[in-house]
Amino acid sequence: MSKFWVLLRTLYVQKLKSKPFIIMTTLYIIGLIGFTFWSDIKELFSGDENTPEIIAIYNGTAEDIKPYFVDDVDFAYEYVTQAEELEKGLEKGDYFAALELSDIEGKLAANIYSYEALGFKDQERLHDVVTSTSQLYAVGQLNLTPEQTALVLDSTPLVQMITINAEESTKSTDEKVAGMVGSYAAGIIIYIVVISFLSIITTDVASEKGSRALEMLLVSVKPEIHFRSKVFGIFLVAVTQFSIVGAVLFGLLRFVDGGAKWDMVMNLIGELPPSYYLFVTAFLILTILLYLIIGALFGSLVSKVEESSQVMTPTMILIIIAFYVMISGVSNPDTLLIKVFSYIPFTAGMVMPMRIGATDMHIAEPAIALLILFASVAAIYKISLSFYKRSVLTYSTGGIIQKIKTVFKVTT
Amino acid sequence: MSLKIENVTKRYRNFTAVENLNFHIEKGEIFGLIGQNGAGKTTTFRMILDLQETTEGKIYWDGQPIHKVNRDILGYLPEERGIFPHMKVEEQLYFFAELRGMKKADIKKDIDFWIERFELEEKRHAKAETLSKGNQQKVQLIASFIHKPKFLILDEPFSGLDPVNMDLLKQAILYLRDTENMTILFSSHQMNNVEELCDRLCLLKRGVSLFSGSLLDLKKQYGKTRLTIRTAMSLAEMTLPGVKDIQLVKGEYFLTLEDEQYAPAIFGIVSRGEYIEKFSLDYLTLDEIFKDQVGGVHV
Repeated sequence: MSKFWVLLRTLYVQKLKSKPFIIMTTLYIIGLIGFTFWSDIKELFSGDENTPEIIAIYNGTAEDIKPYFVDDVDFAYEYVTQAEELEKGLEKGDYFAALELSDIEGKLAANIYSYEALGFKDQERLHDVVTSTSQLYAVGQLNLTPEQTALVLDSTPLVQMITINAEESTKSTDEKVAGMVGSYAAGIIIYIVVISFLSIITTDVASEKGSRALEMLLVSVKPEIHFRSKVFGIFLVAVTQFSIVGAVLFGLLRFVDGGAKWDMVMNLIGELPPSYYLFVTAFLILTILLYLIIGALFGSLVSKVEESSQVMTPTMILIIIAFYVMISGVSNPDTLLIKVFSYIPFTAGMVMPMRIGATDMHIAEPAIALLILFASVAAIYKISLSFYKRSVLTYSTGGIIQKIKTVFKVTT
Repeated sequence: MSLKIENVTKRYRNFTAVENLNFHIEKGEIFGLIGQNGAGKTTTFRMILDLQETTEGKIYWDGQPIHKVNRDILGYLPEERGIFPHMKVEEQLYFFAELRGMKKADIKKDIDFWIERFELEEKRHAKAETLSKGNQQKVQLIASFIHKPKFLILDEPFSGLDPVNMDLLKQAILYLRDTENMTILFSSHQMNNVEELCDRLCLLKRGVSLFSGSLLDLKKQYGKTRLTIRTAMSLAEMTLPGVKDIQLVKGEYFLTLEDEQYAPAIFGIVSRGEYIEKFSLDYLTLDEIFKDQVGGVHV
């Protein structure tokens, strides 16, 4: 077995058996389980088994409004004949909230009562109920035939986007939503992997350097082999963790609720072309490699493991910037900021997939960004390797700039 | 000839760490590189190990430039502890042996042998970080030569060891030379160990070689100028020829002579009076020579 494989295998096995890896993977799995079974967990704590809240209604209009209020999972409606009953019922706790309806110049007016202040969500839902009822009420005032009423109520437009420039692809809203969700997931994966494994690779190199184990290793293996084994070893650990969590997620989606969630995910996946997934995978791999290379390089700069956080900070800031740019793109992925950051190698991995999925763009754009990212990874790898050879056995104090200066001073 | 250092210089911008260094080591020889802290010993080791490039000069192993040599013929024990703190002792040794290309069947056998020899049986499955300083040093030492290198470099191998473990280590070094015909280069600040183990040595001061050759030749440069006398007489009050310095330590007089030729005259003077328990003329110890050469304590 070559020295590279001995180093890689030892690192891989060591990291997989380490407590931080086991704890982090377990936490991710617990998080996923919690997310999947959230409604069951909520029921367990609330104990109401989704019993709808009772809303009392006093109808002060001349219309029969009962057909407009249909019971659902959130609310069930009860009608009172006297307005005073609303207050009494609320005081006794018989009702969750109450609606007092009246007609003002042909429009439906509503007072919403509650004993205690309503939560934001409940307030919003009740408001929605009243809004849709008021539309039905208004239509009811027009004395339309049932066919006319049906036409007015079913007034959703049939929209089709057509772009004259034949080179531009046009995505449907569903495709863009699916692209947004997929890209958001890819961005979150990159963020989590980089944040977790950047610190692992930096502290690992720093710890070997600090304990002088590196001196013994480098007598046997060349620095470039050691560097490569670190980057790819940690990358494999990240892939393993991702696979374990992915397998658990697959199991949960596939088998919980008769696979209802899995069908939903498959529908989402089916909305996007295979080229999207190829691009996202390529961006994901290259971005993680980019940050791991930088992490290993920075780990070689410090003299002891305690200094790792000092050198990691700039890289952490970069990834946090990328994350926030991505978040800003969720509301509008077409801004200039998003466009610019989708080409910068350090942020492209998180921002460009969003543009690919959620905007209409020519395939050349992500291809160029991918090419820039690939060239950057290759260049940074080359530069890091050359610098690593010099820095890995140089011990110095001071800040990161001082450390870089010292490396050049003692090796040139 | 195994190792040849030829006109080697290492400069860092305005600072010269090693200047025009020349020495050679024969196959199966134990060679000492001595000098104060910062004399250039570790830099020399790193250049030999190809961890640092020379600014000038060449280093050869068996006539081949050192950077072209298969790295597995080299073994190195750094001055500071260089083991993985979270790895178990046996795992650690297995890792280093495998990394150096040893066959699995040989690894187990050799690990068993050295663990027993260094009395580490009980620590075999303990994590390195839980071991005492001395035991960590032993594990690191085994890791440096488990693959039976042809050339072993030991940087301060005795630091942190108690006298019993120091003796174990010395025996191991001699064993490696005698059974494996290993060429060994080592540095130490404990001159008695250097005297005990080395055939030849190189004395460095601020990167410059003050002496390179056999220990006996070094001592001969000073001659037999250490005179030890045990007598009831008070020598301090006597006028003795050619004496540079005289000290009384636990009933024995230690005289430093300008030249060994004064010894007979001194013997004549002190033997006229009373019975002499001890009259011994010796070479200076390496420790004394070292202090004289690099430490400015002139004898």
